[in-house]
Amino acid sequence: MSDARTSAERDRWRGLPEWMRPRPVELPGSGRLRLIETTLLVLLGLLLAVATVNDVVRQTHVNHRLIADLTTWRSYTGRPYHNLSIEQELFGPASQHEVICGNTSPGAPKAKTQLCLVIYGPISGGRRTVHGGWYLPAKVEDVRADRYGCFGAASRGMCPR
Amino acid sequence: MSVATQGERGVARIRSEWWRPALLSLLALLLVLATGEIVLDGAAGRSPLIPKSPAIAGWLQGIGERLGYRVFLIAILGFAVAYGAMLLLTRGAGARAITKRWAIVLIVALHAIVFAGPILISTDVFSYIAYARMGVEHGINPYLHGPVAISRDPIFQYVGHDWRHVATAYGPLYTLFSYPFAPLGAKGALWAMKIIAQLASAGTLVLIWRCARARDLDPVWAILAVGANPLYVIYGVGGAHNDLLMLLLMMVAVSLTLRGRDAAAGAVVVAGALVKATVAALLPFMILSRRRLAPILGALAAVAAGAVVAYAAFGVHGVDIVAALNRDAAFVSTDSFATEIAHLFGKPGVFPVDHDLLKASLVLIALHLMWRTWRGYDWIAASGWTLLAISVTSTWLLAWYILWPLPLAVLTRDRRLVLATLALQALFLLHQTSPLFAPVQ
Repeated sequence: MSDARTSAERDRWRGLPEWMRPRPVELPGSGRLRLIETTLLVLLGLLLAVATVNDVVRQTHVNHRLIADLTTWRSYTGRPYHNLSIEQELFGPASQHEVICGNTSPGAPKAKTQLCLVIYGPISGGRRTVHGGWYLPAKVEDVRADRYGCFGAASRGMCPR
Repeated sequence: MSVATQGERGVARIRSEWWRPALLSLLALLLVLATGEIVLDGAAGRSPLIPKSPAIAGWLQGIGERLGYRVFLIAILGFAVAYGAMLLLTRGAGARAITKRWAIVLIVALHAIVFAGPILISTDVFSYIAYARMGVEHGINPYLHGPVAISRDPIFQYVGHDWRHVATAYGPLYTLFSYPFAPLGAKGALWAMKIIAQLASAGTLVLIWRCARARDLDPVWAILAVGANPLYVIYGVGGAHNDLLMLLLMMVAVSLTLRGRDAAAGAVVVAGALVKATVAALLPFMILSRRRLAPILGALAAVAAGAVVAYAAFGVHGVDIVAALNRDAAFVSTDSFATEIAHLFGKPGVFPVDHDLLKASLVLIALHLMWRTWRGYDWIAASGWTLLAISVTSTWLLAWYILWPLPLAVLTRDRRLVLATLALQALFLLHQTSPLFAPVQ
């Protein structure tokens, strides 16, 4: 910035108190502001790091549960299918109750009549317990109106009739 | 100390650092191999990481195997570690460690590998093409309807399920820019988008080089830090994201400011915001730093021109970018830091009150940075911090969003910004790793 411009700019802001006037470059100062900023940044970084690690651990536990649920569906139905859908929200996200749906005969995902199982409880021998379930016609999503043949305690009130 | 003694010490130091180029070559090889692994395995098809796409990488089929989460994560983590080590080894070492040609060859190789392969990770590019085809081929306003309005169009099957009913949130300048590619068909338009991503990346890196030199910073380190960044190469360029075009315009604005062309710089920031609104965050810092009327006038002229063009092309909905931003700000992704912190405190996710708290935090951070810029802090660094704060406080975080501050971070003397940006990227990658410990199949 030229001296003439610097001087003109200084004149322009002369009415402001010193602490409010703009500067072309920062004064070296005592470094107190930088120290405060850096401390806040480090604390925020720590919070984000802890939150990230916590989430990875949480997701890993969820994955272990889902692996057990998929194994349970396959052993319960005797079908070794891989294209199964998993619903974790139906009974509440914190319930750890999962609904696993899959075809009852070979075909593309949701192309055949589907069997949905409500699975929860602790993992034992790589599986969890089936507490009920229902059937769905082909090519529909899992909504109450389309469910039929509900069975087991967990499916009480889940079918339309 | 005599000149002869200094010379002997210099020779001894160079001799004692013979390992540095060898190690850097090894690290570069690792980057190329990791990128090659992802691209070749991705080209094999049937991967959950590769979106359904017109066949553009068929000639690479049969070389790799189906890309699973485990291989992808090992490759990208290897890439990230090698990249981090490379930056450490070259930081401050200048031409002793790495030549300009060496850095350019590496960056070109990484870009070429990604260019040859399929679209990686994201379906966004198909949304760009779908919006263009809606306007050009079907006469439907993409600011009023989602791609579902052209469900019989060949591109529709490739649009991500979550976006089929969503009208475009991109700026009218980008939408108009994409229109000429619509008649090329799904495959032709996809190649066009890939070429645009490559050209935008090349332009961004050239401008980073020039700006780094203008600010007396190491330009080789600067382009290496951006052009060989794992998120930039794999997610950004690999997904042909329009964020690269936004970054190019951002760098044009920075470059113009450094050359004293303030009015043009203000206008280009607005042009960038008419591609993707985020880049508008630079404008207040540019104005506060320059303290001249020129950037304001340039920006106002661009806003007026942009509004007229957007209104003529898309009606009132093309002008109302704020409504689109408000809609997108309500989205929540599992990768956002806000969601992670909610989980840490035992909440199932982000609630509406959290959105308000995050917005308030962002405003406070921006005000603090504006005050500091007024009192002489580097406006480029302040803009970078703001873009970083937008990523951290956003409830909808995607990998390419954490790229936004990186070109600015490598152009400042405040090392905290580049460290914070890279640390955030590292945390993002770490958050992807749960399938390594428990792969669901």
